[in-house]
Amino acid sequence: MNFSISITYWSHFVVISMFALGLLGFLLRKNAIVVLMSIELMLNAVNLLLIETSMRTNTPEGIILVVFVITVAAAEVAVGLGIVLNLYRLKGTVKLDHFRNLQG
Amino acid sequence: MDLTDLIITVVKTAVIYIGMIQVVPLMLIVERRGAALIQDRPGPNRVGPFGLFQPIADVIKMMMKEVIIPSQVNKALYLLGPSLVLLPASLVIAALPFGDFFSVFDKPYLLQVANIDVGILYVLAIGSLGIYGILFGGWASNNKFSLIGAMRATSQIISYEIPLGLAACSAVLWYGSFSLREMVVTQEGTLFGVIPNWGVFCQPLGFLLFFIAAFAETNRLPFDLPETEAELVAGFHTEYGPMDFGTFFMAEYMNMATMSGLMVAMYFGGWHLPWIADATLLQWLGSRNILAILQVVTVVTKMACFMVVYVWVRWTIPRFRFDQLMRLAWKNLIPLGLFNIVLTAVILYLKGAA
Amino acid sequence: MREILFVIFSIFTIAAASGVLLSKSPVYSAFSLILSFFGLAGLYLLWGSTFMAMIQILIYTGAIVVLFVFVVMLLNLDTEKENSPNLLFWGISAGSVWVLSLILLRVLTRSIPSQLPVVPIDQLRTISKLLFTRYLWPFEVLSLFLLVMIVAIFAITRTGEIPVGGEKS
Repeated sequence: MNFSISITYWSHFVVISMFALGLLGFLLRKNAIVVLMSIELMLNAVNLLLIETSMRTNTPEGIILVVFVITVAAAEVAVGLGIVLNLYRLKGTVKLDHFRNLQG
Repeated sequence: MDLTDLIITVVKTAVIYIGMIQVVPLMLIVERRGAALIQDRPGPNRVGPFGLFQPIADVIKMMMKEVIIPSQVNKALYLLGPSLVLLPASLVIAALPFGDFFSVFDKPYLLQVANIDVGILYVLAIGSLGIYGILFGGWASNNKFSLIGAMRATSQIISYEIPLGLAACSAVLWYGSFSLREMVVTQEGTLFGVIPNWGVFCQPLGFLLFFIAAFAETNRLPFDLPETEAELVAGFHTEYGPMDFGTFFMAEYMNMATMSGLMVAMYFGGWHLPWIADATLLQWLGSRNILAILQVVTVVTKMACFMVVYVWVRWTIPRFRFDQLMRLAWKNLIPLGLFNIVLTAVILYLKGAA
Repeated sequence: MREILFVIFSIFTIAAASGVLLSKSPVYSAFSLILSFFGLAGLYLLWGSTFMAMIQILIYTGAIVVLFVFVVMLLNLDTEKENSPNLLFWGISAGSVWVLSLILLRVLTRSIPSQLPVVPIDQLRTISKLLFTRYLWPFEVLSLFLLVMIVAIFAITRTGEIPVGGEKS
């Protein structure tokens, strides 16, 4: 099985775009839950890169790393959403603009 | 893949899918007559002989009713809800093995839509998507009862997916394969020469966990908390009109059929008859295709038994309370599932050492 | 055929991922996230990793996004609309972030040749063997991490109204 170079380029294009979209959402969106979703987008971009590299170079390490990433992501989302729930209890909103108590 | 292959594959897929859809009208009458039998009343027996045409009457009624879309709903998601439930329920059927293989022009074709090498993961993965239809439909209805029903459905299905997955894990350990077909093939023969080498005898605890979790996954009594008519009107489908409700209904029955098919394949020997090897049967029958028909009949009969058990349980065991439901999952089933995995691993290790 | 499918899935994934950012309501964001994860699962399949595709659907779409949707609907956040974005600002940010990611990717994959023949391996067996031999310690640390996370979530989300002895049974 030979993968043509164009497929690799397409794959890298998806990786870059997804990572960029995730970073953009993380930086620009105000809703805490959408920010968490953007983090997931970034993690998934990295997963795609890992799987692609792993399949192309025939090294199982990439896939093992993806398994670890998915596990950590699941835990991260659960904790993140727990924190968001607490924020909502505190102020009745999850817009990040309202949480600037630590801003000097 | 030449033209014959393509035609045979398409026909096979169509036959399996259409066959599985017939579960819905059949179960309609079985459930209503079964309920009547258990409650000691006649049940629907007016339409046709023994009321056998009752499903047709029911469907005509649903189709003829006026479709009402409430004004307060989020229209896009409201309309998407029922199809989002039905789609995964139909997709899962692809992985179920209905028999070994049949041959046309001396070429073997599997009695399965797709022999996926990670079949059980596929079933669990696609099966877990049905929740979105309930969640989006319930939320889009803009009704408190619908929303509570959807929330309950979510927490229930997420919780019971864990025991389901753990039971599947120990089954995978035992059979050494993710493929449902491989699992069935491994179950041929007898254990110690006396009992059939079926999963239910090798993995009794795993089967029990899977069985209980399957009821919760399909939102059936005693776990139908998402649609308790006594407290939530009709739960997540309160705001839905006739055929939308019918779609939810179809999805529920198809999910039941898939779960039954899964239990048959994983724990009840799939297409194997107890104590009779496939090779012997082939000798008696003389033809591979007759054997294939017999295998399909075996699988369908086993599945039908499970469907009857579903109805039987529905009218026998009262509904759980929500905290009892959660306690059962998290405090009883999950520790048992983990214990089962360790037990299976130890037994396999001892078997390997001996 | 393979190339065409690849392009279709790529465009689908990126379009859905931009939907996460651009939708005003978190519910639609979550919906786009589901679609985008499906696209990714398709890409994994095309790369030949059936196992990871199934894990992607099982864990990401089947569990993680369900949690997102659950919380969005529980808090009924749909009423909180954001102001319409400043297009110029967003455009400039998008461009610079994209270039940044491109540089990052180039640096990361510098040493990997762009075309290699692939020998299909018995993926599942290899991965599981490695997980329980060479990578046993990371695996065990991960399980400990999960345990800590479970305790942490309980500590974070409990309201303090439950008496110490637990709820009455």
